[in-house]
Amino acid sequence: MLPMISVSDLHKHYRVHNRPPGVMAALKSLVHRDYKEVRAVDGITFSVEPGERVGFLGPNGAGKTTTLKVLSGLLHPTRGQVRVGGFTPKDRRDAFLSTITLVMGQKQQLMWDLPPSETFELNRGIYDISRSRFNETIAELSSWLELGSLVSKPTRQLSLGERMKCELAAALIHRPSVLFLDEPTIGLDVSMQSTIRAFIKQYNERYGATLILTSHYMDDVTALCPRVVVVDRGKLSYDGGLEELVTRIRPEKRVMLRLDRDVDASAWEGFGKVVSTEGRSVVLQVPNEQASAIITRALDAFPVEDLTIENAPLEEVMSELFSRSRAAAEEGDT
Amino acid sequence: MLRYATLLYVQIRASLLLALQYRWDFVIDGAISVLWAVTALVPLTVAFGERASIAGWTFGEALLVLGWFTLLQGILEGAINPSLVGVVEHIRRGTLDFVLIKPADSQFLVSTARFLPWRATNAVTAAAVFVYAFRRIGHGPSIQGVAAALVLFATAVLLLYSLWILTVSAAFYVVKVDNLTYLFGAVFDAARWPSSIFKGALRLVFTFVIPLALMTTFPAQALLDRLSLPTLAGAIAGALLFAGAARFVWLQSIRKYTSASS
Repeated sequence: MLPMISVSDLHKHYRVHNRPPGVMAALKSLVHRDYKEVRAVDGITFSVEPGERVGFLGPNGAGKTTTLKVLSGLLHPTRGQVRVGGFTPKDRRDAFLSTITLVMGQKQQLMWDLPPSETFELNRGIYDISRSRFNETIAELSSWLELGSLVSKPTRQLSLGERMKCELAAALIHRPSVLFLDEPTIGLDVSMQSTIRAFIKQYNERYGATLILTSHYMDDVTALCPRVVVVDRGKLSYDGGLEELVTRIRPEKRVMLRLDRDVDASAWEGFGKVVSTEGRSVVLQVPNEQASAIITRALDAFPVEDLTIENAPLEEVMSELFSRSRAAAEEGDT
Repeated sequence: MLRYATLLYVQIRASLLLALQYRWDFVIDGAISVLWAVTALVPLTVAFGERASIAGWTFGEALLVLGWFTLLQGILEGAINPSLVGVVEHIRRGTLDFVLIKPADSQFLVSTARFLPWRATNAVTAAAVFVYAFRRIGHGPSIQGVAAALVLFATAVLLLYSLWILTVSAAFYVVKVDNLTYLFGAVFDAARWPSSIFKGALRLVFTFVIPLALMTTFPAQALLDRLSLPTLAGAIAGALLFAGAARFVWLQSIRKYTSASS
């Protein structure tokens, strides 16, 4: 089976005007300008199978949004091959644009002064959707997102979360098979984030849609993306399963124990690394392969009331990965 | 073609709903439209107060120019300007992305995004000006004259629209083009006068660079049966040339568009 998305040696470079601070420099720049090349995306390769949900991660300025914009045909690559659903995105053919959607958490397409239902109606015209199919899609999206009467209130009267729900509905009215979601949960409260996540998963399962998601909330990634592609400074630093990433970067488990009495911190010597102790609770970090042996010993040695075992938090894993890839890049430079 | 007609309908419908959304805006917009149309008459009345004709045009004839100016101003401010000013905002905020990922012609989508229905009052005022002008002249226009004037009116709209597309395309390169749009508005104001009033370099500029003469004076001349066939043909060719250039520049600008950073 052909991949739905294939990216091969993608580069996107910008030429930006480089100006030192100060009035003199500003005046000088009127006559002569120095330019420098910014490599927003610097040779990344990956592919995504139909129906896959992939998390596209990286720190700010890593090249995530630029890549999504190249994939959706908004930016022309400087170099490299990009195919989405059999099309070359930069040609921006109608047949291609009808199969994709782009949701940006920080920008909105809903008409500000009119109810969302009017944006839906406008998109129905643009995507040339029959009335019956439109009604069917709207009914389905409304029930999943619990839109109810929201669609008939002017957009400017909706809360951020309500707007994002309507924004998603507007972006999916044509039932796209490829979704590019750029921080769709940004700024939302925890319960709204979870509603949006559940909805995205439901849409993916119902329509077999392929999706690439960028987010700084690791809960989004954990809930939605079995696979992650990590970029940093325009380069790919990891592509694979989320579980494998965690075990590769932090091959340790977090063991959280609650005891029925206080125990001195020194008593935990020989039980792995003590991350924290607080009253009757202690958090240990132990190598994966020794986890069961250490836990058995701890249960024998201490009056344990409660026990939890977890992987290291994804945030820590990511920051560790970024610092490692930067160190490797700097080593390569010298 | 049918699809674009449907799209145009949907866009106009949204603009109408927007105009109706706020009751007071609706009333105030309407009142302002009438006021603008009436004030357009003032300079002409003042200029002809002391003399019977200016640069070969009698008051009645010059009113025909003003009639076309009022009509075109309504189209500029009601149908062309609001959408294209929206493009500048889209570029600045990066929301043009949403237009460009839609499976329809981007120039069509941005050009039809916003209409101000109340500006249609200009058409009523223009009709009143035409009726009054022909009463002053003493006879009505010929059928051929009306036909030629309507063709010229269509080319004038095309020309005005193309000039706006060219102005707005500048926003892809310099981002802030507000001043350019004000300048355009100010220059367009000169179209209320018959073009023979302007002499020398100004006349050349208003005929070939910013063809104001083509927009209002030529249709008025057509109504008076004073326009030669070669001038009519030249005007059509000129407008098509401008439209072609505008389309080319728009497509180039879209290619260059790199969108605001998220």
